[in-house]
Amino acid sequence: MNRALALFLLLATSLSCAPGVSDAPEVNGRRYFGALRAPVGQQLRFNLGTEPEVRDPGVMSGVPDGRFARMVFEGLTVADPVTLEPRPGQAYRWERSDDGLVYTFHLRAGVRWSDGTALTARDFLWSWRRVLTPATASRNASLFYSIVGAEAFHKGRTTDATSLGLAAPDDSTFVVRLAQPTAYFLMLTTFYPFMPVPQQAIEQHGLRWTLQPNLVGNGPFRWTYWRQNDRYEFVPSESYWDRANVRLERVVAYTVDDLNTSTNLYKSGAIDWNPSGYIPSQYLGYMKPYADYRTGRYQGTYFYSLNTTRAPLNDVRVRRALNLAIDRESIARDLLKGSREAWGRVTPAGYPGYAGPAQVKYDPARARQWLAEAGFPGGKGFPRIAILFNTSEDHRRIAEAIQAMWKRDLGIDVELTNQEWGSYLQSTTALQYDVARRSWIGDYLDPNTFLQILTSGDGNNRSGWANPRYDALIQRAARTLDPAVRFAVLAEAESIALDEAPFLPIYHYFTTELVKPWVRGIHQTALDVHLLTRVWIDHDWRQHEPIAEGNGR
Amino acid sequence: MSIGLRPPAVVLGSHERPAAPRSLWSDAWARLKRNRMAVAAGVFLLVMCTLAALAPWLPFLGDPAAQDLAKGATPPSLAHWFGTDELGRDLFARVLHGGRISMLVGLVGTLVSLLIGVTWGAVAGYVGGRTDDLMMRVVDVLYALPYIFLVILLLVFFSKSLLMLFVALGLVQWLTMARIVRGQVLSLKHQTFVEAARALGASDLAIVFRHIVPNTLGPVIVYTTLTVPAVILQEAFLSFLGLGVQPPNASWGTLVSDGAKLLALFPWLVLFPGLAMSLTLLAFNFLGDGLRDALDPQGRRDGV
Amino acid sequence: MTTFILRRVLLMVPTLLVIATLTFVLMRLAPGGPFMSEKDIPAKAKQELLHRYGLDRPLHEQYLAFLGGAARLEFGPSYKYPDRQVREIILQGFAVSAELGGWALLLSLIVGIPVGTIAAVRQNQPTDFAAMTLALAGVSVPNFVLGPVLVLIFSLTLLWLPAALWTGPESRILPVLALCVSYVAYIARLTRAGMLEVLRQDYIRTARAKGLSERVVVVKHALKLGILPVISYLGPAAARIIMGSIVIEQIFAIPGLGRYLVIGAVNRDYTLVMGVVLFYASFLLVLNLLVDLAYSWLDPRVELA
Repeated sequence: MNRALALFLLLATSLSCAPGVSDAPEVNGRRYFGALRAPVGQQLRFNLGTEPEVRDPGVMSGVPDGRFARMVFEGLTVADPVTLEPRPGQAYRWERSDDGLVYTFHLRAGVRWSDGTALTARDFLWSWRRVLTPATASRNASLFYSIVGAEAFHKGRTTDATSLGLAAPDDSTFVVRLAQPTAYFLMLTTFYPFMPVPQQAIEQHGLRWTLQPNLVGNGPFRWTYWRQNDRYEFVPSESYWDRANVRLERVVAYTVDDLNTSTNLYKSGAIDWNPSGYIPSQYLGYMKPYADYRTGRYQGTYFYSLNTTRAPLNDVRVRRALNLAIDRESIARDLLKGSREAWGRVTPAGYPGYAGPAQVKYDPARARQWLAEAGFPGGKGFPRIAILFNTSEDHRRIAEAIQAMWKRDLGIDVELTNQEWGSYLQSTTALQYDVARRSWIGDYLDPNTFLQILTSGDGNNRSGWANPRYDALIQRAARTLDPAVRFAVLAEAESIALDEAPFLPIYHYFTTELVKPWVRGIHQTALDVHLLTRVWIDHDWRQHEPIAEGNGR
Repeated sequence: MSIGLRPPAVVLGSHERPAAPRSLWSDAWARLKRNRMAVAAGVFLLVMCTLAALAPWLPFLGDPAAQDLAKGATPPSLAHWFGTDELGRDLFARVLHGGRISMLVGLVGTLVSLLIGVTWGAVAGYVGGRTDDLMMRVVDVLYALPYIFLVILLLVFFSKSLLMLFVALGLVQWLTMARIVRGQVLSLKHQTFVEAARALGASDLAIVFRHIVPNTLGPVIVYTTLTVPAVILQEAFLSFLGLGVQPPNASWGTLVSDGAKLLALFPWLVLFPGLAMSLTLLAFNFLGDGLRDALDPQGRRDGV
Repeated sequence: MTTFILRRVLLMVPTLLVIATLTFVLMRLAPGGPFMSEKDIPAKAKQELLHRYGLDRPLHEQYLAFLGGAARLEFGPSYKYPDRQVREIILQGFAVSAELGGWALLLSLIVGIPVGTIAAVRQNQPTDFAAMTLALAGVSVPNFVLGPVLVLIFSLTLLWLPAALWTGPESRILPVLALCVSYVAYIARLTRAGMLEVLRQDYIRTARAKGLSERVVVVKHALKLGILPVISYLGPAAARIIMGSIVIEQIFAIPGLGRYLVIGAVNRDYTLVMGVVLFYASFLLVLNLLVDLAYSWLDPRVELA
């Protein structure tokens, strides 16, 4: 036959006899997934992820965009690289009033923008007002709603910017007045919408201020090069207040959105860090033996949203039945090969001090009871509903598994519908579905980021569920100062949500990343937030202890 | 250089029987039979088509949808000749069932393009004048639209039914078919047999479809045999982008594109479907080439 | 000749107009819009956004505004990347795609034409057979299989070449290889067919009878007309290959133009899609014109219609 084909066959057959990944270098008895070719000097190369849509921290949303923001901008506080606690950033000190309503931030002396101009409290005032201005179309403006007058201003009920509870009495003092004692407010200030933006650049360049070389930042790194869908390059910013502690000399962030390609780049040694979400899901079950694989809890849950405005899902007994008939353990163990944890709560784990209600457990007998009480004994007469998901193999597998479970345990037939991303978003927003696959990732380390979306009228609810008792509890929690009391109120609210089941939780998200052994200072965090300020390359890594954190599963 | 006629028996010797009369088709058939590769390709395709068509009823074949999550992906073994995929499904069964879908997609897509293309090209070529101009202008405009964009929108509007996939695939291939048929018709419509038919009072419709079109069959058949593999390949391309055949149905395209993503981990997942698909496409191409050589040994017709 | 070119250029305008309208209508009919996301934007902010992009004006006004802009080559900012103009995005992406496609096309011609010629000259001999089977095999293997196989061998196992990205010269090798295989095959087949046709002609027999060497006969006399089928194939092929092979660009993370069609359609980025579609159509029409001109230059018997 033809020689080339024969050669290909020979090669392929010999390759197929070696199961799994062929070569995995071994050092000190530990196997590593990627090739071990250390970079030159103090240079970090990683995959930023999908090309950021917007580089304006006040407008953006999304993890890759956030990574960019943390390189070139810095807020009042920064998240601790390990615990995510707020640490001094542009502000070196702050006070909170006894009623928890007034925060006073004191900016460091000498903080500057990268173009040399001084950064003052007025910059924060201007930036936060800008986020709340409707014309800016910020996607995270609702996080500011605890500030006095913020919601009214953003929804257009008033155009008087001075009605906002923000003030800059002098160049280095920034005062924030809250409408309610929001316990997690300080944590919010580490998040990128709260970062300052350069007024001088925006007024000069308009929307194009986020392009090279117009962009001016106040963060640890300065943006030097960009090519669309290719890469970003950074060097340390000389005007940064903590420049002395930045050890990296150069950072290259590629923008690769294909998971296989990103993993291949890591494997061949072209990048040092493959961040969470960029390993194909089929690999995850086989990654545990490798020392450069890190996984840990991520603040997100995967759940099914029920459209409570449609029959029969408007009946709480039907919803309870559906909730109790999901065998989450089997999904996590068999389908996901243990790479993610079965989860029976709306809020994920990892909120210090918050215990939360007991998780929902698989209980087919009780589920059948509820269904019978609702008028569909054994599933008879139950109308045909559909599970909607955006096109993806992973979502389909889970939907098929749940379809089989509901058939087996409840005797009902459900269909599967998949739509492409745009249509799927449209359907879920417009409540054109029965059961829809959804996820929610937390914005800050507090259970409220999950429980808030279930309040009636919240734009992210998308289930039509409205319970006045629940709303009242959430509002009461927002007004409560005492953390223990507050968590108790939130737990009560969550138990209502679990009982009435507008959301059916399925699994808890995990971060899954690959980090080369010579990269020091990148830690697994619950919000997948990484500060690269203190990261450095350890060329003597073979003599030092390996990084052991985060290897939970 | 053969001129296609046998010398009279008198020349060859009395023990030779005189030659039987031959038509264009039997001539072509004889030439085709002499082309060993084309014959081999044809036999292979016949076997493949039969296996694929009968796949759901073959007794020794397992269930392609039966999952065994605990087993996961395993290399080829006696129990599973082609191995299993990450959900524990038997790959051999999936390849055969996938072949069924792929062949169906290829044949129906080609049929759609055939129907539209032949009609369009024949009408344009026969009517001529301004109508021809306009019809071919439409072809040019559609040719200039990026194919993938059309397909995405089509699939967005009609959310991915198998039928829509056939239509989408057929919609692109008919353009070249129309051009070829029109060229043929243009050269045929001035032939004497057409004038004869017209003189006999045949309607235009009858002339086009009963007299002219059958005479264009040569290049049309060749192009059809070459369109089927093109459609199957296009479907594979769409599967790579997530727009092809949707689960639970699987085609060679989905098997190959899913397998290619796991090449480093489980090479057999792309090797066996890939081989099946490539060999089938090769066979179609060989057959098409052989048909072209048989029907038109002078190579006068242009195009691939 | 000049009138021919002028007429073709003028004919491009109505074609592009139809394409623009078709695309406009299709995009607006698709469900959803450019500003949907998982995180909700409140009504007032959404309203401001729609106003800023002129999406709250009546549809025919939007259509006319778009046409006016397109005539000036102004497509406006992209919806998905609001700080960038569509024109910039297209030009940047095109520069990369053109380089990738250019190398692939060059390689295909350099390899394909000689292979096809040799196959034609040695028709029905083993060389011909081997060459054509190889060509057929090239057409039968999809490039999204070839790409990962090449990456597996040369990048992940041997560590010789980069697995992806568009950095130095060595990063061109694998994507160009993966891209050009099917084109080499097609060009070889077309060349063979064309050369076979030409080699049968009387004037070739005359040249041979005159005692010219086979090489001179083939290269100097036959080749010019033998590659005609390749030329007519080259138009649409060059357009496709240079506009970006979506698959290769995705596998090798190459910042080309191909992805924007898919991204734009999926995200309902109206301006980006319109810009890319019109760019592609114009490019194709110009290439067709060039192909027709080259055809008439190579074969003096052909009259420009």
